[in-house]
Amino acid sequence: MAQIAVRDELTTPNPDIRRPWVSGARDLCDGLANWQLWSMLGWNDIHLRYRRSALGPFWITISMAIFIVLLGFVYAKLFHQDIAVFLPYVAMGLITWGFISGTTVEACSVFIENAGIIRQIKLPYSIYVMRMIWRGFIIFLHTVVLIVPIALFFHLKVGWSSLLAIPGMLLVVLNQIWISTIIGAVATRFRDIVQLVTTAIQILMFVTPIMWPVSAIAEARFVAEINPFFHLIQLVRAPLLGEVAEPLSWIVVLSMCIIGYGLAAITLGRAGPRLVYWL
Amino acid sequence: MASIILRNASVKIPVFAVGNNSLKTTLLRKAVGGKFAQTGSNLIINALTDVSLDVRDGDRIGLVGQNGAGKTTLLRVLAGVYPPTSGQVQVIGRVSPMFDISLGMSPESTGIENIRVCGALWGLSRAEIAAGIDDIEEFTELGDYLKIPVRTYSTGMQLRLSFAIATLRQPEILLLDEIIGVGDASFMAKAKARLAKIVDRAQILVVSSHSDPIIRDLCEKVIWLDKGGIAAYGPVDDVLAAYKATV
Repeated sequence: MAQIAVRDELTTPNPDIRRPWVSGARDLCDGLANWQLWSMLGWNDIHLRYRRSALGPFWITISMAIFIVLLGFVYAKLFHQDIAVFLPYVAMGLITWGFISGTTVEACSVFIENAGIIRQIKLPYSIYVMRMIWRGFIIFLHTVVLIVPIALFFHLKVGWSSLLAIPGMLLVVLNQIWISTIIGAVATRFRDIVQLVTTAIQILMFVTPIMWPVSAIAEARFVAEINPFFHLIQLVRAPLLGEVAEPLSWIVVLSMCIIGYGLAAITLGRAGPRLVYWL
Repeated sequence: MASIILRNASVKIPVFAVGNNSLKTTLLRKAVGGKFAQTGSNLIINALTDVSLDVRDGDRIGLVGQNGAGKTTLLRVLAGVYPPTSGQVQVIGRVSPMFDISLGMSPESTGIENIRVCGALWGLSRAEIAAGIDDIEEFTELGDYLKIPVRTYSTGMQLRLSFAIATLRQPEILLLDEIIGVGDASFMAKAKARLAKIVDRAQILVVSSHSDPIIRDLCEKVIWLDKGGIAAYGPVDDVLAAYKATV
């Protein structure tokens, strides 16, 4: 953990500066390999957050349920939709979006909140990102249980193809790791990024088809399709509604991941040697 | 085999002036050619300047110098958490940087939970932590207190627990920033003995202190840091005498 590997830094001066993506990629791999540490820290965060609340983690479940039911009813009327179709649609969308928005906003403070550890023990920076994402994922699991009553109540056509939501969610999680790594590094240097990200997430929630059906803008469908967050949500939402996400969504998200991890490695490689001094 | 090599290592720490850690002001300034939103220039602290050092197995080194001379910065470079902004550093060996021994403690968690989490942060495996719990229980004499949240502990009890966790792992390189005072006199003796044990077994010890007796007791060599550079490096008596002559 606090072990420092033998490196050839003395023979090749500053290799990290010439090839930032290499050290960035190494950081990401080392972070992943340290899963025991980040999973424990993430669990502990959840544990602490609900230690003194009687209902415990189920507060999240309840508030999400209320949100879904109210929004489902109001917006179904607004868009003249059949509630039996629209409420499950809103539910699956909001549950997935909850994970994306929550982790993106928390990404801004991902290194700042770990300043104490970063200044004392040398660990891969990505550990802190994975701790936060893991925590967000556990919170997401609290809301995912709502799928069961909704599917039963509205007789959703759940079949084997619904299992595609699992690799879909996996891609969403992977995607959030690289996004959070970049946002975390930049937000440590520029402290006003958090306001920017919070505002952007709020706007994105309304421009992404979560609370409204894509059919509502049938003639301007491209508005949804140029939005990467639409494709992210589709990968999880469509299978759960008994539909199949379009190949375009898979292609967009997979490409985002490939390009994104490249960018994250470069960002981490360049920011890494300086990040501790920005804290 | 543990070793530390520093070659012309320098650490410059930027202190962002008001507004300079804002993306908005940075962008605005670029957009209008630097005439706008000049809220002040950044300050750069030369925390460490051109430090070259070879530390080998068996070295016991004390760090002396006035406040702000760079002792903590040097220790952080040795811990690997401050990458030098120029120059090179190579540290081989398992490092325990004991700067803040209460690292990772959360008041809401019980003693046992804290042992698990903090132990993992200190680099211990699950098995090592499980094996160490009895040792900590015996050393801290906290008994059933370990089963309740740390926020209910007295300051002394909290210190005992964090000290016990921090000293559970045997490092090859031990970095100490001031010697930790741990509660009442009787416990202090016990703590000293425990620290002495890991100090003895560590291959390399670097300790910063303002106290001569501690330096003389633990170290064979002394580095005198002044304004971020090494003013003198050598046997304890010579360097301490030179340092005292200037203070």
